Amino acid sequence: MPPLLEATDLTKRYGSTLALDGVNFTVDRGITGLLGPNGAGKSTAMKLFLGLLIPTSGSATVMGEKPYENVMARTQLGYMPEHDCLPPAMTATEFLAHMAQISGLPPGAARSRTADILRHVGLDEERYRSIGEYSTGMKQRVKLAQALVHDPEMVFLDEPTAGLDPIGREEMLALIRRTGREFGISIMLSTHLMGDVETTCDRIIVLEGGTVTEAGEVAGFTAETETVYIDVYEDVANLLKALSTRGLEATQDGVSIAVEAVGDAEYDQIRDALAETGSRLRRLGPRRRRLSDIFRDNTE
Amino acid sequence: MSTPEGQVFDLGYRHYDGPREGRGRARRALFVNGIRTCFGLGRGAWAKVLPILFLVSVMAPAAVLSIMAGLLGEVFADVLNLPGPQDYYQIVSPILLIFAAIIAPELLCPDRQNGVINLYLVRPLSSNDYVVSRWLAFFVVSLVFIYAGQVVLLAGLAMGSQEPLDYLRENWAHFPRFLLAGLTIAAVTTTIPLAAASLTTRRAYASLAVIGLFVVSTVVVAALNAVECTSSSDAEGSVSSQQVEPDSTSDRSVVVTFGPGGQSEFADLDTVCEPEFGIAGRWARLLDFGGIPLQVSDLIFDEYDEELTPDSEQIRLPPAVSVAWWAIVVAVPAGILWARYRRLVT
Repeated sequence: MPPLLEATDLTKRYGSTLALDGVNFTVDRGITGLLGPNGAGKSTAMKLFLGLLIPTSGSATVMGEKPYENVMARTQLGYMPEHDCLPPAMTATEFLAHMAQISGLPPGAARSRTADILRHVGLDEERYRSIGEYSTGMKQRVKLAQALVHDPEMVFLDEPTAGLDPIGREEMLALIRRTGREFGISIMLSTHLMGDVETTCDRIIVLEGGTVTEAGEVAGFTAETETVYIDVYEDVANLLKALSTRGLEATQDGVSIAVEAVGDAEYDQIRDALAETGSRLRRLGPRRRRLSDIFRDNTE
Repeated sequence: MSTPEGQVFDLGYRHYDGPREGRGRARRALFVNGIRTCFGLGRGAWAKVLPILFLVSVMAPAAVLSIMAGLLGEVFADVLNLPGPQDYYQIVSPILLIFAAIIAPELLCPDRQNGVINLYLVRPLSSNDYVVSRWLAFFVVSLVFIYAGQVVLLAGLAMGSQEPLDYLRENWAHFPRFLLAGLTIAAVTTTIPLAAASLTTRRAYASLAVIGLFVVSTVVVAALNAVECTSSSDAEGSVSSQQVEPDSTSDRSVVVTFGPGGQSEFADLDTVCEPEFGIAGRWARLLDFGGIPLQVSDLIFDEYDEELTPDSEQIRLPPAVSVAWWAIVVAVPAGILWARYRRLVT
């Protein structure tokens, strides 16, 4: 079975601007974050997978098909663009039923899917009002709803939290998590906000200047760099020695001792070392490296 | 432990495992949506005002004419030379052109302005599917407006005559003719406004450009004809005198293609023009974009040979030229339309 998404030497050039420069990656089911600053090529990558753009060279495939060559490959895709894409004069119900039919659903199914999806995104009450009268948050929900109305395998969400206030943003992320985990729809989510990725995504692809600089599981990114910091009142050197003899990678970092790559077994050894040296413990705790640290390291 | 009296079930998310009809369904949905948009269906009351107004305006002259014919009786109607089905497109063509210029851009401009086009093009629908569906939608709407008056007129004339069935039997040839002529008009009123709409996201600009094109081309051609005719009628006395002075004839010649004059006006103008002159005016008619389908329509209604005096030929073009030019006037905007939408996906 081909991977859900696959980019092979994917290159896109607009005139003299190189938006994507020979990018390679594969994406499996789940929620994938496409992280990067503005102009990194996130939107371009999504549009290539959707068939809105044609690659300059290389290929972008969805379940083995190229959507820019075969329009039927888009039957199972959904897209929530970053910018406005809603007709102000239509009601949400009418618009969604229309979009469901454009995705190939018969009229009856389109209507029942519309009712379902409006309930899921929380627009039940307002469904007969014109979209032009909606708030930004409600419009974002309609944009998400039209991407989901035909029950696709995979949706592409381009900056879904852009322009939302903190509460609206949290609600949108909750809705996205629910879509991914509960509805079982795979998601590619582009954002320039690290927080969105940390709380929502299973894995991450970092794009910068048209190239992939990092890719992997979000849990892996943070877990594999977990460091435990130990502060004791005195006898730092003694403890350091006890930790080292147990084979732990311990270094003195200011007044603290930093122990790298800690798992359950290592915690036991730290406990034993503390007991053995009789150190008076002041603080012991992990400090995960946040994604933002990785991101900052890369951009600096 | 008490059992709860009622329970709320969260149905959760239900996947869709019904049919997915793909491209065919998408095209059909876009076509139907296009027709609904033209009539303002699914939107507020105001959106319906304009289409209804236009529909009434294309049918009203037919109602008036058929009532007049009924009151006057066939003999008097013939003497007065009341316009019939063969003249009807001449009468309503300004309304049809303005209707097309105002309504057709509604099918293309908002989709690009609102960004809905990006939602269409990530679905099982190519840019060609999109533009062909929209074109067909407006073509069908145009035909409704074009045929509406003819149907009213023929029904009215038949009912006004002594023997309606005999009337229809004698005049059966009008039906294929007005149907075919309507197709040639709809091809122009669909393709030119949609091509203009493909060049801008602002509906008003597209409408103004198309109305401008039709009005300016009609006026220019009328003026050229007037100049030709004036100078040629002067030339009757003295061939060397080439006084160019558009006078009252220019008003009448505007009526030729744009006004509710029909046949009698043609004859009037024709008597002014001499066969030797009017060559430029005749060829200038090529530039009258609104009038081109009417020339083809006249050919279809057999107006070319039968009812016009030989003199009138000078403001007519050879049939082959009219038809070829009509084809070009449809094909060039169609090419623009196709090219514009092809470039959306690059």
